[in-house]
Amino acid sequence: MGMRAYIIRRLLLLIPTIIGVTLLIFSVVQVLSPEQRAALYITSEQQADDIDAIIEKYHLRDPVYIQYFVWITQVLQGNLGYNVKSPSGRVLQNIINRAPATIELTIIAAPVIILSGIALGVTSAVHRDKLIDHVTRVTSIIGWSFPSFWLGILLLAIFYAALGWVGPGRLNPDASVFIITPPFTRYTKLNTIDGLLNGQLWITVDALKHLILPVASLTVQSIALIVRVMRSSMLEALTKGYIVSARAKGLGQKEVINKHARRNALIPVVTLAGMLSAGLLTGVVITETIFSIPGLGSYAAHMALPPPDIAGVLGFTLFTGVLFVIVNLIVDVAYAYIDPRIRLG
Amino acid sequence: MEKTIESGDLLDVKDLYVNFYTYAGVVEAIDGVSLLLKQGETLGLVGETGCGKSVTSLSIIVLVPPPGTIEKGDILLNAGDKAINLLKQNDRTLMNIRGKDISMVFQDPRGALNPVYTVTQQVGEALLLHRREEMCKRVLQNLERDIPEANTLKRFIYNCEKKIYEKMMNKPKSPSLRTLSKIPIINRYQGRLRNEIRKEVVELLRIMKIADPERVVDMYPHELSGGMAQRVVIAMALSCNPRLLLADEPTTNLDVTIQAQILLLIRELKEKMKSSILYVTHDLGVVAEICDRVAVMYAGNVVEVADTFTIFKKPSHPYTQDLLAAIPRPGKEFKSIRGEVPALISPPKGCRYHPRCSKAMPTCALVKPQVAEIEKGHLVMCHLYKR
Amino acid sequence: MKAKSESPTIKELKFVITRIKKSPLSIAGIAIIGFFVAIALLAPILARVPEGQDNPYRLPRSGWFSEPQPPSPEHLFGTAQWQYDIYYGCIWGTRTAFRIGIIVVAGNLIIGLLVGTLGGYYGGIIDELLMRGTDIVWAFPGLLLAMAFVTVMGPSLDSIVLALILVGWPSYARVIRSEIFRVKQEDYVEAAKAVGCSDFRVITKHILINAIYPIVIMASLDTGAIVLSAAALSFLGLGPPPGYADWGQMISLSRGFIYKNAQDPLGYWFTWTYPGVFIFTFVLGWNLLGDAFRDILDPTLRRR
Ligand SMILES: Nc1ncnc2c1ncn2[C@@H]1O[C@H](COP(=O)(O)OP(=O)(O)O)[C@@H](O)[C@H]1O
Ligand code: SF4
Ligand SMILES: [Mg+2]
Repeated sequence: MGMRAYIIRRLLLLIPTIIGVTLLIFSVVQVLSPEQRAALYITSEQQADDIDAIIEKYHLRDPVYIQYFVWITQVLQGNLGYNVKSPSGRVLQNIINRAPATIELTIIAAPVIILSGIALGVTSAVHRDKLIDHVTRVTSIIGWSFPSFWLGILLLAIFYAALGWVGPGRLNPDASVFIITPPFTRYTKLNTIDGLLNGQLWITVDALKHLILPVASLTVQSIALIVRVMRSSMLEALTKGYIVSARAKGLGQKEVINKHARRNALIPVVTLAGMLSAGLLTGVVITETIFSIPGLGSYAAHMALPPPDIAGVLGFTLFTGVLFVIVNLIVDVAYAYIDPRIRLG
Repeated sequence: MEKTIESGDLLDVKDLYVNFYTYAGVVEAIDGVSLLLKQGETLGLVGETGCGKSVTSLSIIVLVPPPGTIEKGDILLNAGDKAINLLKQNDRTLMNIRGKDISMVFQDPRGALNPVYTVTQQVGEALLLHRREEMCKRVLQNLERDIPEANTLKRFIYNCEKKIYEKMMNKPKSPSLRTLSKIPIINRYQGRLRNEIRKEVVELLRIMKIADPERVVDMYPHELSGGMAQRVVIAMALSCNPRLLLADEPTTNLDVTIQAQILLLIRELKEKMKSSILYVTHDLGVVAEICDRVAVMYAGNVVEVADTFTIFKKPSHPYTQDLLAAIPRPGKEFKSIRGEVPALISPPKGCRYHPRCSKAMPTCALVKPQVAEIEKGHLVMCHLYKR
Repeated sequence: MKAKSESPTIKELKFVITRIKKSPLSIAGIAIIGFFVAIALLAPILARVPEGQDNPYRLPRSGWFSEPQPPSPEHLFGTAQWQYDIYYGCIWGTRTAFRIGIIVVAGNLIIGLLVGTLGGYYGGIIDELLMRGTDIVWAFPGLLLAMAFVTVMGPSLDSIVLALILVGWPSYARVIRSEIFRVKQEDYVEAAKAVGCSDFRVITKHILINAIYPIVIMASLDTGAIVLSAAALSFLGLGPPPGYADWGQMISLSRGFIYKNAQDPLGYWFTWTYPGVFIFTFVLGWNLLGDAFRDILDPTLRRR
């Protein structure tokens, strides 16, 4: 038994999933002509002149499984292809350049969504059929029905156009200039943290201000699901025998809810929280596009626009797939942490 | 007027009514129940499934689950010099009584244990709630013992710990303690309390005759067998020496052999601890083994109360007679009672037993019978007996 | 006698209907959906197709001027960039929304039925393989996968519909499969097989009739999400070309018009408000209904 053995077992099980995910992505691309697919293997502009050689070299006219093998070998060596669209260059490099903005956004949004969703779900369940329950549920359905892009536009219209509080982008223009001017050092490329590390608090504040609207927009869209699952699983947990027995010991309502019911009710929510974190990448595509955030999401949206940049789209999708697999692993471990029955079973 | 209780009595349930408000309608689950429990005695509560035995015991610990509500009645608990009415207490008082004065053992032991916490965590919770002071005292004793032998650094640490534990004994809810307990490394001081509690839990499990208690304390409920789980639940219930133990069919879900062991255990504990027990069961055989007196319940009413010997030798209520006749015994034909316990959404008018009763008379369907004391301490609720 | 002969499916349906009647939210949902059905049916009357235009989904335009014009008697909701009529687009966009919803759900259902039935009925290695595949598609964030599909197929409404079909089926396959596993255990299916009914007949007659009920409900729940996804793809520029009656596309057109000028910052409000309200209300209708359904069908919350 033990946690380590459990994690290793889960990791081994992930291998087929990774192969499946990549295979799926790869199959999608087979729709295109060999010439278009050659873009995947170009690593510099000079090579672009010699498409035929590349088709030859990477077996682009051969059966799918051979191509897949060749491709996965390249991917494992870190070669995700070459972006022909701006910013041109190696896909991997572009993804790395764009990642910090997205990381900053999701690392703030995910906990906000998950924690507030859980809190609202618990409140809703504890006050079942009371006013607060109805209000929570109706507002979360409304949020869930909001088209994310429309919500973004509304938020911009109110807070940017009408009130002039905060504009799109990651920073105000002067701050954007400041951070690329020495002596400011971009240690992490996460503006909030770099501001602190450089002792420039106003950069952090400005970065946070610019994150409020995108985070709010992501939250409104995704919180409903967590609220609903948390609520129903909490309601179920509250009917269990161990709740009565905990109260019979002399525990108060608050401790019973926080210690006994919530921990059990969290079990189904863990999967959902994982899916949601990975799914945030979907939301990010739209949110970043609307708020002009130079992250992976707007990168993907840009690459997908006609004429598409296949290497870019594939690279991003692959990135998502891998991220998804990692999140799954985290979910599994979190599960085992919360539910002892899984650790041993 | 202040309600009173005789000094020899522990619990007096008076004219209790409990309803459940379901979508389908109002379930009149408890319909005027009165019960008396004397100090140190074991009272059996028998009746078929659905008669309201569980709801009665949950009412006594004031934990009737929604949509149920206690409509009226009194539940008096002897508190030394005065009686306290459990139905008139605030939550805080009740929390103090639950687990300490009254505790409960449930029919489904696995369901009664939280799957995500270990045995120590769950049994220890009760200790922390009601025996915190005693546990802290033990920690302090250990510290006193260790301090003279420690080197300077350790002595400093021990002295700090001593201060903390003294504070914990006197003012367990102080905010400074709460803050300390959240600071990593510093909150290691809690380890001593945790150790003490673990030791006590091991001791409790040993009393429950659990083999290898050192190992079992760290197990999760799903690793326990049904019998073990029930022992743990009983250990949890008895951990704070309650004056009243409510045992709601504690052996019903167990194998016959395990059942016998648990029964033996309860009987032994009863001798040792001098607690009173309300033993709920639908099995009259069990009643004969461990109860001093018996209350028979039918469809939300207590229909007969008497000492165990009288119930078996001279059952007076037709339902008790039918129940006894339904026990399979060698060399004797057994008759199961015809029909079944009515749904209590629309209970039968008059005597609730009349549709099944072989001695029913015309009045039985119209008038609810009164309780008659046919001999001293022998109560029957039936039209066949006049007051 | 009559009550006894009711099949469980009918009884279930009756139960659901009585519960729906008691839930104000689901009634609101039904009313909203009914309202949109009416708009879709009456589209030719509400927004007349201009003379000589053969494709009603092309928005009429009154010029090539790029700046949107505010609402006026001729253009009730104003005009978008390049003078496309917003009112016309909102009305006919309702038909587009229904079309997307219905086709995608039907497509999901067909693939899901095929995969789920094969897996659930035959079990074993076939089931194992199909389910692994299902898991992978199911696990992947749907909109991103759909985006990849649309990118390689080329932007258009048809691509969006096809892409959403290709990513949406796994949940159906899973439900159908587990439902079939459940029904398979029941005696009458065994009995039917014992008396020599062919596999196909057993599947269609006994299993599908029982399994189809939760599926129909699931399908109705999905519609809102599907329309939302399609609109999002359209918004990103992967949908039909500008000037098509599609809500997402219309909002996409309004992206450059959030801020007008210092005197009148929200001067172009009509470009994004009207199409947005249409999508939002449409999706809200389905989600309200869906939420009520889920509550009613949630076994842990039922009947008490
Ligand atoms: N949560 C509840 N909701 C509705 N009715 C209940 C509930 N709990 C108990 N009852 C009703 O109360 C009556 C007594 O139940 P119970 O005390 O559990 O019986 P017993 O323990 O004697 O088997 C039954 O008729 C039952 O239907
Ligand atoms: S009152 Fe009548 S019906 Fe009820 S038990 Fe007595 S005889 Fe039977
Ligand atoms: Mg019971």
